[in-house]
Amino acid sequence: MLKYCTKRFLQSLVTLFIVVTVVFVLMRFMPIEGFLGPRYDKMDPGQRDAILKAMGLLDPIHIQLKNFYIQLLHGDLGESIIYRPHVPIVEILGPKIPYSLFLGWASMTLSLFFGLSLGVFMARFKSGFLDKLGTVYIVIINAVPSAVYYLFLQLYGKNLLKLPMLFDADRPISWILPIISMALGGIAGNAMWMRRYMVDELNKDYIRLARAKGMRKSAVMFKHVMRNAIIPMVQGIPASILLVMVGSLYIESLYSIPGMGGLLIQAIQRQDTPLVQALVLIFSAFSIFGLFVGDLLMAMLDPRIKLGSKEGSR
Amino acid sequence: MAKVLKDAAEKIDETLFTFAGYDAKDAERSGYSNYSYWRSTWNVFLKNKMALVILILLATVLAFTFVQPYLPQQKLPTLIHNDPETGFQLRNVPPGKEFILGTNSIGQDLWARLWSGTRTSLFIGFVVGLFEAGIGIAIGAIWGYVRWLDRIITEIYNVWDNIPSTVVLVLMTYILRPSLSTLIIAMCITGWLPMAKLIRNLVLIIRDREYNLASRCLGTPTHRIIVKNILPYLVSVIMMRLALAIPYAIGSEVFLTYIGLGLPVDTPSLGNLVNEGRRLMMAPSMRYQLIFPAIMVSVITISFYILGNAFADASDPRNHV
Amino acid sequence: MSKTIEQLRQEYGTREKILTIEDLVVKFSLRGEELTAIRQASLDVYKGESLCIVGESGSGKSVLTKSFMGMLDNNGWIDSGSVLYKEEDLAAYRFERQWMQIRGKEIAMIFQDPMTSLNPLRSVGSQIKEAVELHQDLRGEAAREAVYEILENVGIADPVRRYRQYPFEFSGGMRQRVVIAIAMACKPQILVCDEPTTALDVTIQAQILQLLDKLQKMYDLTVIYITHDLGVVAHVADRVAVMYAGDIIEVGLSEEVFYNPQHPYTMNLLSSLPQLGEKGKDLYAIKGTPPNLFKEIHGDAFAPRNSLALKVDFVHRPPYFTVSPTHKAKTWLLDPRAPKVELPSAIKQLRSKWGDDIVAGS
Repeated sequence: MLKYCTKRFLQSLVTLFIVVTVVFVLMRFMPIEGFLGPRYDKMDPGQRDAILKAMGLLDPIHIQLKNFYIQLLHGDLGESIIYRPHVPIVEILGPKIPYSLFLGWASMTLSLFFGLSLGVFMARFKSGFLDKLGTVYIVIINAVPSAVYYLFLQLYGKNLLKLPMLFDADRPISWILPIISMALGGIAGNAMWMRRYMVDELNKDYIRLARAKGMRKSAVMFKHVMRNAIIPMVQGIPASILLVMVGSLYIESLYSIPGMGGLLIQAIQRQDTPLVQALVLIFSAFSIFGLFVGDLLMAMLDPRIKLGSKEGSR
Repeated sequence: MAKVLKDAAEKIDETLFTFAGYDAKDAERSGYSNYSYWRSTWNVFLKNKMALVILILLATVLAFTFVQPYLPQQKLPTLIHNDPETGFQLRNVPPGKEFILGTNSIGQDLWARLWSGTRTSLFIGFVVGLFEAGIGIAIGAIWGYVRWLDRIITEIYNVWDNIPSTVVLVLMTYILRPSLSTLIIAMCITGWLPMAKLIRNLVLIIRDREYNLASRCLGTPTHRIIVKNILPYLVSVIMMRLALAIPYAIGSEVFLTYIGLGLPVDTPSLGNLVNEGRRLMMAPSMRYQLIFPAIMVSVITISFYILGNAFADASDPRNHV
Repeated sequence: MSKTIEQLRQEYGTREKILTIEDLVVKFSLRGEELTAIRQASLDVYKGESLCIVGESGSGKSVLTKSFMGMLDNNGWIDSGSVLYKEEDLAAYRFERQWMQIRGKEIAMIFQDPMTSLNPLRSVGSQIKEAVELHQDLRGEAAREAVYEILENVGIADPVRRYRQYPFEFSGGMRQRVVIAIAMACKPQILVCDEPTTALDVTIQAQILQLLDKLQKMYDLTVIYITHDLGVVAHVADRVAVMYAGDIIEVGLSEEVFYNPQHPYTMNLLSSLPQLGEKGKDLYAIKGTPPNLFKEIHGDAFAPRNSLALKVDFVHRPPYFTVSPTHKAKTWLLDPRAPKVELPSAIKQLRSKWGDDIVAGS
């Protein structure tokens, strides 16, 4: 177990290192004007060079990389250029994190609760009415681009339910639409996987033995099928933070929520390269961390991994 | 029961109690099942009435998409229509006789733009799907076949798989300038991964699965193993990926357009149309500009999604029973 | 040889029937078509005996046993016929709640593959304990103690430690012991063993069969083995029932079926035993394939593959003909009007090797 965790942790670190490096190098391919700020066309070449030099952008790339690592290790993500010129990115992010976290957690709780329950009932009454209805829901949510149904949710939420169209931190009623929008995808995903895992388990031989020893169907469902199906789901939970994050890109901007997802879109639209770079790194780090925690949880729950068996490694 | 049978037995013609002779062909025929993979796949698919209806619907839409520009009285998707009397642009004309689906906010024909946009988006989808398949198969084959590379590529895969694909998508389109090829490249970069993994596992199956080993021991030539045992699986995998690549590509395009990294506004695409419609959605009289593209997007993505899954189900021999 | 064939026959005359299957028809719906998996099969099971049901894959052995445990797949059903157990007709059971009185409690079952028969994510002990709690009405510590005892009974040493372990920490043979322990924890009257040794090493096979034999004596169990391994049959069976295409075409004491087979299929089956092959000659193989059960079968299902088939075999279905009080077969060859048939050389050889004195009686 300890060996597995160490290995998995090192793997995450390496991944993060590679991501940091690649993102940084890629960003150096951007037009250099992106680093000069809004007034770059009023500068003469001498001024530009002076600014670039001051930012260290004229150094050879490996020196820049080294400096960047050192910066990161000190928790410094650089400074914004256009969005809020010369303000440290950490300061910009600080007040935005609580919004993203709150909305993310709320919608994740919803999507877990409703998604898992839906999946369990769909598997329990396979090919029944609920299963068909759930499948229609899953197909629609998976197939239709989320931007499209987010828009309609916002539109009809306002027109029919008279819910506020924009987020307001002081009015909880305005939180409803963004949280539901964010949860829709998660509910579909969780329901789909839960159903699939449960159906997979149902077809396994040990279910036959459990039935043959005289257990009631509901007991088999609860003590064997659900128990086993929930383990791979648990693995995915931390990673579904990732799903929520991606959803938050749209939703935060759609509802003008002052969170990190909306910030990335603004940074892109205004071509604030250091800010884009910092946000991309943060999102990647979240997801790498989420997958790592997921694997750890899985290892704790699955005795085959915990006790280091070969069979468990898939 | 036995008694009744016994009585019946008494009445049987005596001459029947002679040897009938033995015919080896007859012996085989009694249990003969003329199973054919593709026919069974097709049969299972046909059983799925919903998928069949969708297939026909989709075929009609696709055919119309390509035929539409050549039909009479079609307008150009990028032409701005002006009122001949006043010279003003015919902005936001509601659906009617002259413009079937109305015009947009600068006086372009929405009907023509819709079909043109559908063409663009389908093109992206198909190209991405094909590239994914191509890159995926190439990398997957090397991955599975060259043993000493397995570890290295697996590690690379683990790293790559850890990075959220949306982030990669955003990053790529941010760094490259918005254009059709940028979109396609960005989507391919994130999409080949599952395909490669599948192909790698497939290669391992070719190499190591018992039934293939057995086939080889019996002297079946490799090309026959590939054609009979591997190809059906491969084709169905590719078909499914292709079908699912289209909803994925359309979704990504709509998303990237929304965050400002999509195609240039002068290229009609479903993403651009949805985005134009979004800006006007709060005015009920102009809402048609969002609703028509949204319907088109939904019909196409849902259809491909269902077809892809229906085909995957049908091509799975376990469902052929 | 402890008992003569006559003694065995007499003994069976006094035995009590525990399960009576009569004219059972089981159908499945597949691809929108109907498949008849069991075609009017009849079989008596006597208390305390070991009965082997043999036949090739797809002959309906497993379906037959599943039908009287209420474990047919969802697309299968009992179409007609009856299964009498303790004066109850199991064939008429419709509800899960009725089966709960039978499954485990009266009839337990173990399956072919011990590697997949246990829930990989729960400890071995907890899985046995479930059965103990269901059928022995014990809870908590008492149930745990009962599990330890059962584990020891099935030959698993150090039960306290083993209780907490997971299936992947057990070898195949040990897992099969656990599966058997689960079945025994139910305290059933009848134990159905579906290919209990097929997935195991040869060395382990004998141990498992010995264990089953020991438990049978210990608990006065009736054991039904399903197998296509005639070696297992020879080892354990009191009686043998031969299945072909969903019907029991011959049934008798194992000596009777082995040394004096009547149905051409049984003869062919025995002739294909590798032990009877002669060096340098090809092994005997039954030609052709079993019939397609989607179609209605006329006459004797084996007729098309039978080199000794009579014309009547293609027209009329044979009834049971009695060979001895314990031995009967469904073949027209036993009809007085049929021509006499020489036993295949392999059977003669089998007889001369092991069974001369036994057949002498019949």
